[in-house]
Parts: sequence; C-alpha cells; structure tokens
Amino acid sequence: MASQYAAELCMLLVEDNFGELFGRIFSTLHRYERLTLQRLVGFTRLSETRVRAALVAMIQHHLVYHYTPLDEAVTYYSANMQAAYHLARSGKILEHVEDRLGEYAATVMSTIMYLGHAQVSHLDTLPELRSKASKANGVHEEEGNLEGGENGANRTNGEHAPQHSALLHPTLKALAGHGYIVRVREAHFQSYADNVLDIERVIRAGDSVQNMKGKKLEEYVTEKTVDMLRERLDGDLTRGLVINGVPRGVKRRHANGVSEDLENKRARFDYDDAGGEDEENEWFDDEIPMESSLTVRVNYEKLDVALRNRRFLELAERDAPPETAQVYDYLLRRIEYQTTKCRDSAEIPREGEEGEQYSVSIPLNALSQDIDPYLDLAGSLGPTDTSPANARLGKRPFDHTINGDHDHDHDHDHDHDHDHDNTNTNTNNRAYEIDQHLSLLAHAPFNLSSKRLNGGIITWTVEFRHLARKLRHLELERIIESRYGDVALRVIRVLQAKGKLDEKRLQEISLLPFKDLRQVLASMQTGGFVDLQEVPRDAQRQPSRTIFLWYYDPDRIRDSILQDTYKGMSRCLQRLRFERGRLKEFLEKTERSDVKGNEERYLSEGELERLREWRAKESLLIGEVARLDDMVAVMRDY
Amino acid sequence: MSRFGAKKDRNLPGAEFTWDKTDPSGEADTAPTPLFPKYAVPRARALSDREQVQVNLYRTLRERFHDGPYYAILGVSSGPNGYTGSAKANFDPFNGMPSYSGKYQKKKRLIPRVQGRPYVMKFFPRELWSTIQPNFKPDAGLDGWMPQTFQSGIKRGFEEDEEDEESLKRRRQADEEEGGEMEANVLEEDEDQEEEIVDDDFEDDDDEMGGDYNAEQYFDGGDDEYGDDGFGDGGGGGGDEDTY
Repeated sequence: MASQYAAELCMLLVEDNFGELFGRIFSTLHRYERLTLQRLVGFTRLSETRVRAALVAMIQHHLVYHYTPLDEAVTYYSANMQAAYHLARSGKILEHVEDRLGEYAATVMSTIMYLGHAQVSHLDTLPELRSKASKANGVHEEEGNLEGGENGANRTNGEHAPQHSALLHPTLKALAGHGYIVRVREAHFQSYADNVLDIERVIRAGDSVQNMKGKKLEEYVTEKTVDMLRERLDGDLTRGLVINGVPRGVKRRHANGVSEDLENKRARFDYDDAGGEDEENEWFDDEIPMESSLTVRVNYEKLDVALRNRRFLELAERDAPPETAQVYDYLLRRIEYQTTKCRDSAEIPREGEEGEQYSVSIPLNALSQDIDPYLDLAGSLGPTDTSPANARLGKRPFDHTINGDHDHDHDHDHDHDHDHDNTNTNTNNRAYEIDQHLSLLAHAPFNLSSKRLNGGIITWTVEFRHLARKLRHLELERIIESRYGDVALRVIRVLQAKGKLDEKRLQEISLLPFKDLRQVLASMQTGGFVDLQEVPRDAQRQPSRTIFLWYYDPDRIRDSILQDTYKGMSRCLQRLRFERGRLKEFLEKTERSDVKGNEERYLSEGELERLREWRAKESLLIGEVARLDDMVAVMRDY
Repeated sequence: MSRFGAKKDRNLPGAEFTWDKTDPSGEADTAPTPLFPKYAVPRARALSDREQVQVNLYRTLRERFHDGPYYAILGVSSGPNGYTGSAKANFDPFNGMPSYSGKYQKKKRLIPRVQGRPYVMKFFPRELWSTIQPNFKPDAGLDGWMPQTFQSGIKRGFEEDEEDEESLKRRRQADEEEGGEMEANVLEEDEDQEEEIVDDDFEDDDDEMGGDYNAEQYFDGGDDEYGDDGFGDGGGGGGDEDTY
C-alpha cells in the first residue's frame, strides 16, 4: 500500500476532500513516516497553530495515527493510508446503504462520515438528521412508486409515521446490526504495528511469562498478542442486535396477510417503508435507544464484505436466470450478516497457497423462510415431475395445457400436484426448488455456491477464496484481452493451466501459427504480463543450449496492475483538479452563497450550459475513479 | 563491427530467439517511428444509473466536507519561511480588493476551525488537548486524563512540568543548532500567535510609521477583527465567519 502511486493517490484524495492543508500534512507524514509535532511543523513549513488544528481534524477523521509511548512524553504521528483510500469508496458505500436500508440510513451514514467519528448524543442534536427525516421518507415513497408501483401502502405509512427524530435510533441500530458501524476504541487511533508492540510489551512485563523462556515464550507472546489485539480493536456492535443470524427487524413475518406481503414485496429488507402499521409499531415499541455516550464510526471492513457480495451477485446475474440470482442474493445476505471481514490474513495469499475458506453455512430451510413466497421459483426450472414411464421411454413430458388430453396419466399427476400446492404449505417443494437454483450456481465455471450436508441438514455455503481468485483472474483476463486481443487471452489461459512452457509446446497446445504466437508473446512481455525463464543445459549458458520457458505469474501481474490502477486513479484526480483550475473563476461564481441553490435565477443560459457540462465532466472523472476502485478492491481487498 | 567473430551472412547468436523482426531473414526496421501516429483513443463508457447515484453521493459528501469547518487551503508560500497563515501575506493584490459582491464569495479558510463541535478527548493525544479546548488547563482533572497522569506519575514524580519545559528548551536549542530554517519557523510561530492575540494584521506598520494614516486600513475601517480570516477580504464585516 505504501508505494509511490498509492501515496500520491491518497494524498490527492485527502486533498480533494479536505483541502490542500491536509494534503500537505498527509504527504509529509507519509514521506517521513513517524514525526513528532515539532518535526512535522518543521517539515511542512507551516505554522504550529495550523498544524495543530489540522492534526485534530485529521485524527477526528482517522487520517492520522498517533502514538504516545508510556515512558516518553512525546507523541508521534503517522499517516493512515487505508482511511485515506476509503475516501474514494464513500459514494459506493452510501449507495449500498441506501439500497439496503433506505435513504434515511444513508443520510445517517453520510453524517457519520462527515463527522469522522461521532457520539450518539451528538448525532441526536444534529438538525439535518431531524429535518431531513421527513423529506427522506417522502423521497423514498416516490422511489418506491417509481420502482414497482405496488408500494401503495407506503403512502399511508409515510403520512402518519411516528416522530421522525425517533427514527434515528432504530436506524443506528439497524446500521449497527448489519455491522456497518462500529464502536470506536482507543486502539483504533494507533497503527497496527504500534498496537502490536504495545501489547507485546505489556505481555512481556506481565507475571505469567516470567518463568518462560526461548521458543515457548515467543509462542506464548504471539498467541496472546493476537487475542489482546482482537480484544482491543473489537468494536462490534452487533451483539444483541442479531437474532438467529439476522439483524433484528429485517425479518418480516410471513404468516401475515397475503395482501400485505404482496405490497411490500420489494421493500422486504427496508426499514422506513416497512409496510404494515402494526409491524412498524412493534419495531418501535421494543426500542431502547442507543447509548448516548457511544462513539461510532464507519466499519469499512464489513462494507467490503458487502461490496464483495455484490460483485458475486453480479457474476451470478451474468449468466443465470434472474430468479436464481435473487435466490443467491438471499443466500449472500444471510452470509454477510455473519461475516465480519473479507479474509483473515492481512495480505491476499499467494496464488496456489490459499487454502479453502468457506463462509458460514446457511441451512436450506432458513433460506426458504427468507425468500419471498411470491418469487416464481418454478418458472425458470425445467419440469421436475417426470413420471417414471416417460423417463424410461426417453420422452419429454408434454405440457398438459397444450395437449393435455393425450396424457391422462400425467395430467392427473399435475392436478394432484396443484391441489397439493394450494392446500398445503408447500415448504418442502419450495426448499427443493431453492436447492435446484443453488445447484445451478454451484456448477462450473464459477462455482458460486457449494452444498454441504451437515448432520443430515442441507446447508449452502460460498467458498470465498476461490471466488475472490476467480474475480481476480477475470479482471486480469479482461485487461489482457482488451490490450492484446483474444489470441493473447488464449495463450495466457494455456500458460495458466499448464504452467511453464517452452515455445514449441505452447504453440502445439494453443494451436496458433508461430508468427502470431511470437508477436503476441513479445508484446505481452514488453507489457510485463508474461516472462521468460532461462534454464541452461550446461555450465556455459549458451543460448543455443538453453531452454526458454514462458510463464505467467498472476501474483506479480496483480501487483503491477494494482500499481497501475493507483496511478490511473491519481491521474484522474489530477485531471479533475486541472479542469477545475481552468474553470476556477466560473466555478467560484457558481459557489457564491447567493448563486448556489438558485442557479437558474442568477446565471445566464450559456453559463448554465457550461455548468452542466462541467458537472457531466466531473461525474465522468469521479465515476472513472470509482470504476478503478472496483478493480483495486478485486486486486487488493477481496 | 564483428561481434563474437560473426560473419556477415550469419546471424548473431541468439538471433533465433529475437522477436523484433517477425521473419528472421529480413532487415531490422530502423526507420523512425511516425511523429503523430494515429491511434484510437479509448473512451470511457457512459455512467450507469447506479454509478451516477454513487457519484452524486460522493459529490454531496465532498461538498459537505468543503463547506465544513475543516476544509482549509494552503495559502501562498512566502519565501524560505514556509507557508504562513497571516492574512497579509495571502492578500491577492489583483482580486483581493474588497467589493460588494465579495460578501457572497465563499470564504477560504487557512486554519481548520476546530471549535464548534464536541470531541471525545480521550481519543486525542494530550498535547493537542489545548488546541481542542483553548481554556483547557492541564491541572484540571478530566475524564480519561487522570489514569494517564497516574501512570506517568509513578515513574517520574512531580517534576514533570519542569522537565517538559526543559526538554522543550533543549529541543529549541537543538533546532537552533541545526540551522536557520528551524529557527525561522519558531519565530514564525511566535509571530502568528502574537497576531492572533493582538487581532490586528497591520500592527508592524503602525509601529513603524507612527502616523494615524494607514492606507491598507482605509477601506475596512479597522473592523476586520480576525487576523486569521481567509484573505482578509471580509469587507462585509467581521461577523461573517460564523455563517458558513
């Protein structure tokens, strides 16, 4: 993370969000690593009052780590690259929260981001969380209506909803229950290394290690360090908010009237447009407000999990029917509630060295309870009730609506089935269908899910490491194809499947003409995607007596692509700054306090056009940064 | 020039492995590359709806940061002394003259405004506490503060304050020895602090000239109260600081 381009990017992001002063302090801290206040003042060549104020603000936003050793009275500051990078992801996170928990939750989240970390008591006093609440609900109604036109119930709900200020606490609880926000601990303000060293010192000074020596001591210390680190950094707020693996309030009752369920079909997981009145009340009744002394902040680790799941879902949507994707969505949500971070190790394990890491397994019947009963599961599946006679003859069963008369037997079966469906709770049938959908996803090429039998209960899991690797490979392959064409892609795939190959073998396997192959390999080597290994057959290392093997190392390429991506992002941001500089005077005019908000009144037609153009340009550049961030997430975070 | 004693008609060793030329017998292409070759500029595809929402949310949040109390610009660098927070140095002689519409102009901040919102003191290092709360006295017992004193107090007894001063002095001495740059900075700080207390940008001029005519104060009538206020263009009155 601490490469040149990463540093540049983080500095630009800080600058884009908080201004040049922060950017300068941040880059100085990154360049000189840990600094005391006096040294920082010296290196940045700023006055102390400015540095002090900026440091306070940056600590508030977690952009700066600080550490004061117990035996020295000096505080050291260092830059928090991770936090700075996450500034680029804020839009994505907010959109996800809005999608999952509704507009108001996104507003709350955005406010928490705006404040860095915030006490609940402070959030209580903020006017924007109160006044906006009613507006937010209104907007949501519109959205709901736009979406499906079936959210009629929401209108009434929105009108006599309870006091909107009361919405804050349930929303905070929902955010906490999903794990999107965490309690801030003091250890969050120290860097990882400082925490570890500090804990080690404490352990070594403790009583229990005095009679241990050598290797045993080291082992004990490492083990204890991990424990204590987890304890100190633990800001988990989900305790008591999650029931049976689902955050409270998410689950809707299915025993409820059919009509109502129909109405909030789409809004199943939403809070503030939660259909029936009685449900709403129930939700508010048992509400104990959040502790007012609690300090919360955004939990980026968890949100990475959520965003990763979304990537998997997109993968599923790509070549599975929409119903299947929806079933998968329910499975992933269930899993998300119980997954705290993307992986256990700090670094992405090397290719081939990663073990299998399965998610928590979700029992099938829990899923079938979750899944919307009106989701048409059977429609996209092949006919399942082949009677044995037909199967033996190798005939396809006829659809009885078309030529039902011919097949009395079959017809009868079907009717019977229908009766069964209508009268009985068709849970078994549904479970079977869900199982079928998930089995479809379990197949190659992506193996998006995998089935487990756990003491006779069917459970479904997702193998994260495998899928993350798959995503990475897809991303690399996409880049290679777009840069070098499909021939190159074939070569890469051959190399990946077979390992190191000499040119002749490579040609035989890939079935390409010699000329094409050489060209493509040469251009890829210049780009750093494949490389050549020499294996001399004698001590002289003569080229004629040397075997040359082509190979493709995904880890290395991942690293270099990651750096390129950082570079691309920072170029986008620099371009944005340059473009803004070109329009500086004009933009300052639009930002004037009288012009802002009523642009139509004060700006001329040409100026309005210019403003629109600028907005479009800016959003394209920011959108590009967000796309590149998707790549970074795949390469680094998932 | 013969390398490895190679003859004209023979290929150099390793030539069978080159890839520059696709047919091994042909001449190497030494012609200069065209100056402005045509190439297809890759175009980003238009943003999808979801991306547009994300961008808008990012922009709204960034806008909030910009309007918030922390957003601060660097100001101009005044020579070797580094960046200053003083309004005088940052005065823009071309556009900086106060004008009527200036009061609508977005104010630029040189120092992030720290006050005006609650902080959780225990999350900040002690040396910054006086910045967060200007009236903070290190002796006053505060939550989260006592345990720390105990811990350090055990080791060093009650001469902590003295030692702090001593170490500070020592550090300053060391800085002075190091070179003029640091010294200049220390002076710079003092100047800034003084400015803040005295609330007058043009104090030096007053002293030097002695007269009561001050061209720079002619327009604002001396009611520009805050030395650290942006570019000092608060011609509309000193009270504007709190409005954004």
